[in-house]
Amino acid sequence: MNEETMLSKLKTVAGSEVVRLATVRNEVVFSIPVEKWVDVVSALVEDWGIYHLSAITLQQREESPEEIEVMYHFWHGLGVTFRLAVPVDRPELPSIIAIIPGADFYEREAAEMFGIVFKGREETPPLLLPDDWDQGPPLRRKETDD
Amino acid sequence: MLEGLFYLLVFPGLGFQITCGLAFEWVDRKLLARFQRRVGPRWYQPLADLIKLFSKEDLLPTGASDSIATILPLVSLAAVLTAGLYIPMAGFTPFSFEGDLIVILFLMSVPTLAYYLAGMASVGIYSILGGARSLLQYFSYEVPLLLALSGPAILSGSWSVADIMASQAELGPFILYQPVGFGLAVAGLIGKLKRDPLDIPKATSEVVAGSLTEFTGTKLAFWHLVMDVQAVVGIFLLINLYFGVPAVYSPWLAVLIFVGEALLMTFVLSATSAVFARLRIDQLAGLGWRILVPLGLAQLLFVIFMGV
Amino acid sequence: MTKTTIPIGPQHPLLKEPISLNIDISGEDVLGGSLRIGYVHRGIERLAQERTYVQNVHLIERICGICSHVHTTTYCYAVESLLGVEIPVRAQYIRALMCELERIHSHLLWFGILAKHVGLEMVFMHSWHNREIVLDIMEALSGGRVIHAANQIGGVRFDLDAEREAMVRNMLHKLEEQVGGVLDGIVHETSIRARTRGVAPITAEQIRQYCVVGPVARASGVDVDMRRDDPLPPYDRLDFNVITHQDGDAWARTMVRVEETRESLKLCEMILDQMPGGPVTTRVSRKVPAGETVVRSEAPRGEVFYYLRSVGSDHPARLKIRTPTLAALSLIPVQLSEIQVADIPVVLAGIDLCIACADR
Repeated sequence: MNEETMLSKLKTVAGSEVVRLATVRNEVVFSIPVEKWVDVVSALVEDWGIYHLSAITLQQREESPEEIEVMYHFWHGLGVTFRLAVPVDRPELPSIIAIIPGADFYEREAAEMFGIVFKGREETPPLLLPDDWDQGPPLRRKETDD
Repeated sequence: MLEGLFYLLVFPGLGFQITCGLAFEWVDRKLLARFQRRVGPRWYQPLADLIKLFSKEDLLPTGASDSIATILPLVSLAAVLTAGLYIPMAGFTPFSFEGDLIVILFLMSVPTLAYYLAGMASVGIYSILGGARSLLQYFSYEVPLLLALSGPAILSGSWSVADIMASQAELGPFILYQPVGFGLAVAGLIGKLKRDPLDIPKATSEVVAGSLTEFTGTKLAFWHLVMDVQAVVGIFLLINLYFGVPAVYSPWLAVLIFVGEALLMTFVLSATSAVFARLRIDQLAGLGWRILVPLGLAQLLFVIFMGV
Repeated sequence: MTKTTIPIGPQHPLLKEPISLNIDISGEDVLGGSLRIGYVHRGIERLAQERTYVQNVHLIERICGICSHVHTTTYCYAVESLLGVEIPVRAQYIRALMCELERIHSHLLWFGILAKHVGLEMVFMHSWHNREIVLDIMEALSGGRVIHAANQIGGVRFDLDAEREAMVRNMLHKLEEQVGGVLDGIVHETSIRARTRGVAPITAEQIRQYCVVGPVARASGVDVDMRRDDPLPPYDRLDFNVITHQDGDAWARTMVRVEETRESLKLCEMILDQMPGGPVTTRVSRKVPAGETVVRSEAPRGEVFYYLRSVGSDHPARLKIRTPTLAALSLIPVQLSEIQVADIPVVLAGIDLCIACADR
């Protein structure tokens, strides 16, 4: 499936825009509103056969520190990345482990590193941090960062 | 009385058997190492390991019974040493009597039961698993072993190891008449000694060290001795039952032949250890009851008809 | 029989690296288990933000001992793509050579671990003996046996002259003969097959659901290999087979790795034949222009994913790493049902855990 088809299919599900990353090989990036994310994932996995989730990357950009950007990286012959944004003071995301069980570990890491609250799953136990960690999500931007 | 003490403590009793046990351990480890392209230990390594173990701290987990854990290896060691007393060494037997084969087999089973009890007494999960497995394994190899070892007894018409050995002087080595029985006896011995491929009860990657996981220091040293002496007693038993020592002029030649046979058996045991992966307990049970027992029965029937 | 729980880990003879598995058993049957990781978590992603790009090459190399080169290769390609430079072709080939050598090294190590877990120490010793040859080759090339420091941003740190290339070829020939013997032994040997055949089969559907990659995925028939699907240069110019098997059991996972080792040996020859002359490094600036990039590559255990974002300084703004073992770990609780206690080592070995990679 090429970019144009993917774009039009995504628009039928969610309404979105395409942004091209500057990369070595083409990596296509789409931005998806958070409310429509579960529908998009269902469509990806069940209708279009795009099932391989490589990673979930979270970050806070310098120019917009009030929101946490969440990127879901899929692979389907080419790299497809979906970008969502959640506000820092209400970081809630729908969980997709019912559709992609393999996302479990990635969601847990996102929860502990950035403080994301995943809706639709019973509990999100920490994955990597020690049990007695009490210094908050470590990868969030702090005032001391540039 | 002094003679009796000599037999008990020096030859063919305590001193001799422990020395043979350590020598066997060295040959075995050296052969295994050479199969694996390693150098292997020096001749004094087994003795050094034993001395080192005696000097280590003796601990057990909370809830384990210290008295039982101490008695078990001592009882096992006494049992195998006693079993060794009845086995002719190059034809020399101070203690044989009619029916001593049965006694030997009974005494050789004591360590297995003790191993199981040691596992239960140690309380840790790996010990219990190892102990349970050792009993499961016992039920799979013991019957073929007994069937196989009955063969030489029936063929020679006596249940005394010394008489069985002597009758091979006229009939020829029994391995020629019952090669299948010999194979079963070796398999049974491997199971009894808990060597690869039948070291299921102490499979390191599954149960850490089986029943002996929690043992340290002096107790472990005694278990070590039990393993070694059990091995040489088993080897000597098999040599006497299947190879015999031919009647020769010089007793020293008999000793040489005896030692040669023992080394051959050691080589067979080491080679099988090196070449096979460990079996799973269900695979062993299947093998034992579906293949080994029928073979043992067939061999036994053959021997009975031959005797007739 | 009553249900008990065996704790495997964090320290256990089975584990090279610490994880914590609590496995519920009843007699010899395994009922299920749960998994905890994070014992070797060092916070690499956070550390990377506080170091320069050059310092990060050294940091990334130490994520894992067995796949160290692949990590730095992927990272360097990411940085170079942001810088907009293309490294000299000879450097690309040297990077690929080290990658393939690392793959051979990793699989040889793995055969040893599998053999040891099923009680066949001879294969363990012979396999690791051959691994020493690979380590000698890597030392001859880079000066290091396990941590090679082969990569730098803009190329590689060393070159091969004709004499060294001849020596490497000789050692590769010797390796091919000896490894060939061990691999044939593993394939035809009955007791390893008896312990691994039919153990813990994974279906292709499960592979897709849990997003598993690498030899584990290929052993269940899922045809994915980043060297072919998303090739970093020079893999687009190299000709090799991607090995798949259909059964998905532990034996299939063994066979996939056996044949991949053979393929990698052939690839090493091919790389040495095709390698052109020229420089091995190009000058790059310390400050990396703003931008973001994604690079995927094929480590011995599967797809490695790197996301890198720069804001125009000499420190990365965000580095995200996803290693193949992290995906495979989520399969373990699934595999831990319907097997026996004696199969636990085989299952754990089959996934080829590299916990240092997973924890970062």
